[in-house]
Parts: sequence; structure tokens; C-alpha cells
Amino acid sequence: MSYVVAGYGVTLLALAAYAAHLVVRGRSLRRRLPPARG
Amino acid sequence: MSAGRRGAASVGTTVLGITALVGVGVTVGLGLALPDTREQGEYARLIAVHPPIAWVAYVAVGVTALGSALWLWPRTRSSAWDVLAGASAEIAVVFTALTLVTGSIWGRATWGVWWAWDARLTLTAVLLVMELGYLALRRVPAPRSVRATRAAIAALLAAVVVPVNHMAVDWWRTLHQGRSLVRPDPGEAADPPFVAAMLVGFVAMTLVYAWMLWHRTRVANLEEQLEHEGLRAALAERHAEGRAQIEAEVAAR
Repeated sequence: MSYVVAGYGVTLLALAAYAAHLVVRGRSLRRRLPPARG
Repeated sequence: MSAGRRGAASVGTTVLGITALVGVGVTVGLGLALPDTREQGEYARLIAVHPPIAWVAYVAVGVTALGSALWLWPRTRSSAWDVLAGASAEIAVVFTALTLVTGSIWGRATWGVWWAWDARLTLTAVLLVMELGYLALRRVPAPRSVRATRAAIAALLAAVVVPVNHMAVDWWRTLHQGRSLVRPDPGEAADPPFVAAMLVGFVAMTLVYAWMLWHRTRVANLEEQLEHEGLRAALAERHAEGRAQIEAEVAAR
């Protein structure tokens, strides 16, 4: 069972980590940009 | 993306994200609930994640190649295609690496080894190296169009590996099992619960890919915007310095 748990676990962890990276990076970039004009 | 919508969370991407999350949850539930098989025992449950991840790796490489071809074709050339290709390539690296890791775990459980120089495994590793090379090439300093053209050619070369890798289990005698979903011999077809779990996995992982592509493209656009803002600020500063210098010279006369 440990191999099955490892397979599912590594998949979920990797996808969650990359998704969180995208969201955090997007928010950080938005904060660094000046307020929208017009 | 327009400057006005920069801070607003898109309803579309939120709905897509929630749907993908539910899909992944259902995949995990269905996968872990699968019965043991005669050939692989409990390890056959990995069928709900490993083939769908490999599928998305192929899709991501395909989208990178499509964006690259549209960049190279003069009639359709647009920086948006280059951005899309770059975004999809990064996601392809994540999914190809995950394909190798989950495949290695499955291999250790069923074959007794973490790695074998098998055609399918080796070609997947080659694909990962080519994707990493593509991302490295995008970071080599060069004018934008030159960089995009170089990267696009590399992406098309990498895409050639995908059909060869897909057919590898038919063309060569490999340790890796044959196709998971469509088997040439109907008698070898997987049982319905396994097919259902795999199909749900395919849909869920494709939704995850779509969500990631949306966000990665947005990040790339924001990075570009920030770069332009930085350039604009630097130019404004330089102009102000020049003006101050001229005024000082005029005042001195």
C-alpha cells in the first residue's frame, strides 16, 4: 500500500506546490505593478 | 490582459480551479477504491494517476509545439503564441517529471526496480531533458523575436519525441506495459472500474492543466508588464535628470 500512497501523495503534493507557486507569483507581480490608469 | 482587470479574480478561472479540484478529489477516491488485480495486486490503483499525468505531459508539449508553429508561421506570428508556448512548456516539465516519478514508484512495486533503460522510460527522460533545454534557451539573452524563434524550433524538435514515445511500447519489446486505454487486442482490455477511474483522471488532469496554463500565461504577461513599467520608469528618471542638467546649465549662463 505504501507505493500506492507514495504515488498519489507525490502527485498531489507536486501539483499543489506548483499551483500555489503560480498564485503567489501572480499576486506578488500584481502588487509590484503601479495602480491601473484610466 | 487589460490593466483594469489586473487585480480582479476571473470568475472563469475560479470555476475552472474548483472543477479541477473536485475532479482530482474524485480521481483519488475512485483510484484508491479500485479492487486488487491478479497481475498487480493493489498497485494497479496507480492507473488512475500515472497515465493521466503522462497524457497531460503530451498535451502540454503539443500546445507548446502548436504555439511555436503559430509563432514561426509569418501570417499568424504574435507574441501571444510565444507566451503560450513558454507557459505550456513549464507545465510540461512538471507533468513529465511527475510521469517519471509516479512511473518509477509503480515500476519499483511491480518490476522490483526504480528504473530500467526501457524505450518508454528512456524516451520520457529524453523528453524531460529537451523540455528543460527549451526553458534554458528561453533564458538566453537575445532580442525577443530571435529568442522566440530559437525556442520555437527547439519546441518542434521536442514534440517529435511524443508520438515515438507513445508508439514505443508497440515498436519495441519493452518492460513497460502496453497501452493503458486502447489495447490492440480487445481481450486485454482493462475492467470497467479501471477504465472509468482512468477516464475521470484524464479529464481531471486536463482541467488542472488548463487552470495552470491560464495562471502561467497571466504570470508571464504580468512579468512583461512589469518589465515595461521598469523601463518606462528608468526612461522617465533619465529624462528628469537630463532636464535638470539643462536647467542648471541655462541658469549658470
